[in-house]
Amino acid sequence: MNENSPAPERRVRQGMDYGETEDVHQVHAAIQREKREPAVGLEPLSLWLIAIYGLAIFFGGAYLGRYSGNFSGDGLDPFGGAPRPTKSGATGPGGGAQTAELSPADRGKKIFSANCATCHQMSGTGVAGQYPPLAGSEYVNGGTRRLGMIVLKGLQGPLTVKGMAFGSAVMQPWEKTLTDAKISDVLTFIRQEWGNKGGPVTPEAIAALRKELANHPDSFTEPDLKAVPEDANLPGGEAPATKPGEPPNPQASAAPAPPKA
Amino acid sequence: MNSADIPLTPPTTVPVATSTESDVTIREVEQVERALIDASTRLPVLFFYGSAIVWLLLGTLLAGFTSFKLHAPDLLANVSFLTWGRVRPAHMNVMVYGWASMAGIGTAIWLMARLCRTTLRHPLLLIGGAAFWNLGVLLGVGGILAGDSTGYEWLEFPPYAAIVLFVAYSLVVSWAMLMFRFRRGDHIYITQWYLLGAFLWFPWVYGATQVMLFLVPLQGVMQEAVTWWFANNLLFLWFGAIGLGTAYYMIPKVIGRPVYSYHLAAIGFWTYALFASWTGMQRLVDGPFPAWMITASIAATILTIIPVATVGLNHHMTMRGYFGLLRYSPTLRFTVFGAISYTVFSLVGVLLSLRSVAGYVHFTEASIAYSHMGLYAFFTMIMFGSMYYIVPRLVGREWRYASLIKLHFWSSTYGVGLMVLMLLAGGLSQGASMHDPSIAFSESTESILPYLRGRSVSGLLLTVAHFVFAFHFGLMLLGLGRTASVPTFLNPQEGEALEARL
Repeated sequence: MNENSPAPERRVRQGMDYGETEDVHQVHAAIQREKREPAVGLEPLSLWLIAIYGLAIFFGGAYLGRYSGNFSGDGLDPFGGAPRPTKSGATGPGGGAQTAELSPADRGKKIFSANCATCHQMSGTGVAGQYPPLAGSEYVNGGTRRLGMIVLKGLQGPLTVKGMAFGSAVMQPWEKTLTDAKISDVLTFIRQEWGNKGGPVTPEAIAALRKELANHPDSFTEPDLKAVPEDANLPGGEAPATKPGEPPNPQASAAPAPPKA
Repeated sequence: MNSADIPLTPPTTVPVATSTESDVTIREVEQVERALIDASTRLPVLFFYGSAIVWLLLGTLLAGFTSFKLHAPDLLANVSFLTWGRVRPAHMNVMVYGWASMAGIGTAIWLMARLCRTTLRHPLLLIGGAAFWNLGVLLGVGGILAGDSTGYEWLEFPPYAAIVLFVAYSLVVSWAMLMFRFRRGDHIYITQWYLLGAFLWFPWVYGATQVMLFLVPLQGVMQEAVTWWFANNLLFLWFGAIGLGTAYYMIPKVIGRPVYSYHLAAIGFWTYALFASWTGMQRLVDGPFPAWMITASIAATILTIIPVATVGLNHHMTMRGYFGLLRYSPTLRFTVFGAISYTVFSLVGVLLSLRSVAGYVHFTEASIAYSHMGLYAFFTMIMFGSMYYIVPRLVGREWRYASLIKLHFWSSTYGVGLMVLMLLAGGLSQGASMHDPSIAFSESTESILPYLRGRSVSGLLLTVAHFVFAFHFGLMLLGLGRTASVPTFLNPQEGEALEARL
């Protein structure tokens, strides 16, 4: 400290003058009254604090264990569900493997929400007086043939569903927009959703129907549909569950409708 | 030491004042030494503070503009550089790099010089660093407003501005490191730990992020992980460390009493360094990231309870018996408000990070509330406190008006309090309606309009606070402060009587 004491006076004069006197010993009042630089006490840790440490470590560790997703590099599920339940899909990373794992009803749900839900609603209730309901509808729960006709070719004119009249229902034909696989998926979905008890529909059946109706120019009307028996199924009948992830459908196996060729 | 039996007689100063002549001499030498140190840091620190306050005013105006646009979207919507998508990042970056960082560096330089008991050599070079820093912020904000933003949260400065900032930073920090190298005395105080930590962590956090986002960009989705790690750790490891270090100095210094416990301080520091650097990914809950990454960050956030509780207890026990001083000392009032906010901010952070909560709030105004708790209620308030302490020592005058300090404190307190409440409540309700599929998205945003208006009101309060403070600071710079032997107390009569007793 001693060797430094001559330096001060020179430096203080050097700075901008904020009203300081030249005498360095007459330091600014704020510095004069200032307390000494802070020191540190040596109080011990309290037991309460150690208990808080313990709790924080416990909860942090428990949280890590619970939601770690087994520390898998490609598992997005915090509970660590097996990231690849089936090996049927492609082995490479990316979306291809994932879509292969979805059941037809799951795929159908996506197609439904993208194409159908605008009118029929995600709840399947339709809109009273405008769009017929799918939930509990006799057309959806009955045979698959009528359903296939409606979706492929569309529908026009007055219609009665579940006792409710729909004066001028118009549904567009979907044959140009959706593939056989997509139509079969969405039909499988609506026949099993909202308490409906229909069986699944196969892409092959839709393909056969598409071929059969290839020369039918217009949308169907209610009399056209009534001409087809209510329980008429598509060629090939109700397909058994083909995908391993598919939940078993008791209705389909218990009461198989006679196939109409 | 039991504090209950010593109401207002700090143990460190009283013996010195009343004992032998040699002690008095030591005290005088210490005073001269401090005067020299303050004189050497005067220009750079005032330059940092002055620039910071100019940026603070600009950032405040941008913030008010951003806030009003949320409920009055037509406001100047035709001017491209004043559209919301540019004004908001400009506000955030002005506050982060212009105001908070510059104020923090100013305080850190002064504290470092004081605690290392060494004068700042070649202060003009440090002014060069500050000028460079200003240039970087100016380039960056100009770039953002001109449409050159990078689009990464808190990193919107275009790369050419980031480089200037980095150069400026290296200049500044090498000076701080030099002071530490030439320190006197064998004791390294707690504040120095935090400041050294902050000075070394900032280049790590900022540099690593710049490399991973701009120089050698990571693959798409992982950039988001880097961005959030950066934002959180800039808050924790840079602002958090400077803020806590400052509080560790100001509180014992003003009340004239040692910090309660070295052990608590050490545990608080090292656990903070260990756990805080793991946080950030909790903002990505439900995102396309491996679950363990997000969970590890949440667990680390839970573990930050350890340093938060430790530091909070340490400050509380230091203050115990001296809370009455909050009535008089502006520095103490701002600093203690900031220290308490730090605890609240951290605990709210733990709550918001949990998966079940984060899923609701992470795309809502609640995360804005969280940022403001950290950057304003905690850090900015502590910076105000340190400025109220340091500036009189640099300009040789006392603050002119106690009433302006009071006005500043209460507008800031009510302003930030109202803002955080509005945004938290609005965020929770917004999150709830966003999770209800029967409510359209547009309705969920309309439902928080009242909260957004409330936030604008809080912004007006903060604007008042900042302009009042800037005016007061300007008076001090012009040498128009009071010349008096007592500091400017918030309640002058009582305060001066108290000072006489001490």
